[in-house]
Amino acid sequence: MIPFPLLRNPHETARELIDFNQKVLKGIENLGRIREQDIQVGASSKEEIYREDNLVLYRFTPMVEHPFRVPILIVYALVNRPYMVDLQEDRSLVRNLLKLGMDVYLIDWGYPGRGDRWLTLDDYINGYIENCVDVVRERHGGDPINVLSICQGGTLSLCYTALHPDKVKNLITMVTPVDFHVNEGLSNLWAGCDAGAKGMDIDALVDAFGNIPGEFMNLGFLMMKPFQLGVGKYLEMIDILDNEEKLRSFLRMEEWIFDSPDQAGETYRQFMKDFYQGNKLIKGEVKIGGKPVDLSKIRLPLLNIYAEQDHLVPPPSSIALGQYIGSSDYTLRSFPVGHIGMYVSGKVQRDLPPLIAQWVKERG
Amino acid sequence: MQWTEQTETMIKALTETQKQLWTNWFDGMPGVSSPMPVSWGVATEGFKTWTAESEQVAKHVAEQLLASQEKMLRFLEISLRAWTAIASKTESGEDWPTALRSYTENLRQQLVQFPQEMQKAFQDTDELWRLYCEQWKGLVQPWAMSLRQTPWNFGQASTGNGSALMEMQKLYWDAYESTFGRMLASPTLGLTREINEDILKGFDAWLDYRRASFEYHVSLGETWTHAFEEFMRRLVALAEKGETVPSVKTLLQLWIEIVDQVFTDVFRSDEYIRIQGRLVNTATAYRLREREIVDACLKASHLASRSELDEAYRRIYDLRKDVKELKKALQGIKRESSAQAPQAADSGMPVDLPKDTA
Repeated sequence: MIPFPLLRNPHETARELIDFNQKVLKGIENLGRIREQDIQVGASSKEEIYREDNLVLYRFTPMVEHPFRVPILIVYALVNRPYMVDLQEDRSLVRNLLKLGMDVYLIDWGYPGRGDRWLTLDDYINGYIENCVDVVRERHGGDPINVLSICQGGTLSLCYTALHPDKVKNLITMVTPVDFHVNEGLSNLWAGCDAGAKGMDIDALVDAFGNIPGEFMNLGFLMMKPFQLGVGKYLEMIDILDNEEKLRSFLRMEEWIFDSPDQAGETYRQFMKDFYQGNKLIKGEVKIGGKPVDLSKIRLPLLNIYAEQDHLVPPPSSIALGQYIGSSDYTLRSFPVGHIGMYVSGKVQRDLPPLIAQWVKERG
Repeated sequence: MQWTEQTETMIKALTETQKQLWTNWFDGMPGVSSPMPVSWGVATEGFKTWTAESEQVAKHVAEQLLASQEKMLRFLEISLRAWTAIASKTESGEDWPTALRSYTENLRQQLVQFPQEMQKAFQDTDELWRLYCEQWKGLVQPWAMSLRQTPWNFGQASTGNGSALMEMQKLYWDAYESTFGRMLASPTLGLTREINEDILKGFDAWLDYRRASFEYHVSLGETWTHAFEEFMRRLVALAEKGETVPSVKTLLQLWIEIVDQVFTDVFRSDEYIRIQGRLVNTATAYRLREREIVDACLKASHLASRSELDEAYRRIYDLRKDVKELKKALQGIKRESSAQAPQAADSGMPVDLPKDTA
């Protein structure tokens, strides 16, 4: 006779359920008090210094009297909102960089509308990024600047740097996909890295939707870990419901996770077909604005950081970068976290900003 | 207490307690045996505020929280009932894997039954057409009405013999519908040829999508069954080692871990990628066909269609790009001129300034 391996006493089980619901009740009180303005994101003060179409370029207010002379421009992915790097006071890569004396700028891509459906990768790379780099350079004597790029922003920045190496002094890539045909990644497989158009007909998708809805992107990300992200996360939330501060942190993350902009149709088409399905970046076959992107032309210092438990950008996808660039000053670092943990983990917040600041300062 | 009775009691305790807590909110709590030191008035107010007035993020979290609780309870109920079924067979001498297989087969049939019923519908073209038309009813009905009336109006205007044209039109529709199955692949006839062609293509695309959706749901049903099987196997393994799961929460975490792993393994497979790809591709193909029909209806009512707007946006985008390039070129020229002007002033040479092209 095999007993069920759970608590044998139904009263104990019922007690657990009651305790569980007591926490929920306390949580309801807390949730009832919290308003949208209580979970506003963006801890650090900033000013708008340039605007173009939906894009806004911000400069964060320095926290030291004389910031480091070479500024850092943060280029985030198009897929989520960039305020993740400045989510709240104790989870802000930006704030920590400012405290270490860096001069930080950030590109906010905004929310593409139906009219932006025709924007291409050329518009983003040789248009928006190029213009933002020029604006920052002009404010700092016209010299090359540092670029800190994250996820898809890293891929775009690699293309930009290969095309305009004279404008970038040092490049930092974080959790950046380079080799898109790494089969460990579900995102790669579902995008058709093996199956091509049979896995996902990108042309039909873009023709049908125009801009790819943010909800579609969210659904794809949730489906990669459907039960952990759809059920487990909210069950774990029960444990923090009675702690208002932790609950606010959780709600800020929720806001960021589901605040996904639409993807401009033609940009999505080229990115998915050339990068995910064709894996053309490492083959040197990507063309932006008619010009080929050759990663070997990147000869400036490069710091490549990846997350060891990243299920969205598998480590081999990021690590591959070292094989293709022409730089002799190439540094590879990793952290034992997942993709999101790279932005919000306490350990990373403690160790990553000093790593970046020191690396950048050593290279003047 | 016999442990099978204990299992039933546990199921009852879980479901009844939860029901009391959440469906009979305020009145139910005093009925629960353990006293709960919570201010019910504050909690009730908080609950009302939370669900009625909270902003989207908090509301979404609340919904997810309640949905998670419901899933948790359903899962626990299924697991415990499955355990009862398995264990009762074990007591009578059957080995537990056989008992488990038998239970999961029942579960599989339940999960796959709905898609199989849909499969039967595919054999009946009339039923399919009815379902397709139902889908369009709300959107297309006004347009279909006017399309039907157009020939009559035309006849009234041109021949004066409106009733004859009406009869002709009615004849055409009756003939078309009665021969629909055989006529599906044929080019259509008459004034409404083009829109009929679009509707037929839409129907074909919708059929493809329904078939792909059916295949997808069968695949998911199989995966759910496999996940459940794995979960029960893990529990048996724990029980055989004499290990216990200390809490319901730990049990759920174990379930989430196992089910996520099973689903991820399936998601990686070539077969699943093929099935998912077919679902997404047929859905987008159907959406494209849908738009063609909607565009035709909008055109008939003098409204701009999505395609026309996209064309306009394309032209705006091209113009905007040209303007930016021109501005950049102009800035470059002005900069060069500014650079040349001081040098020319130093050397005494005249400087040709660019004509104002603004």
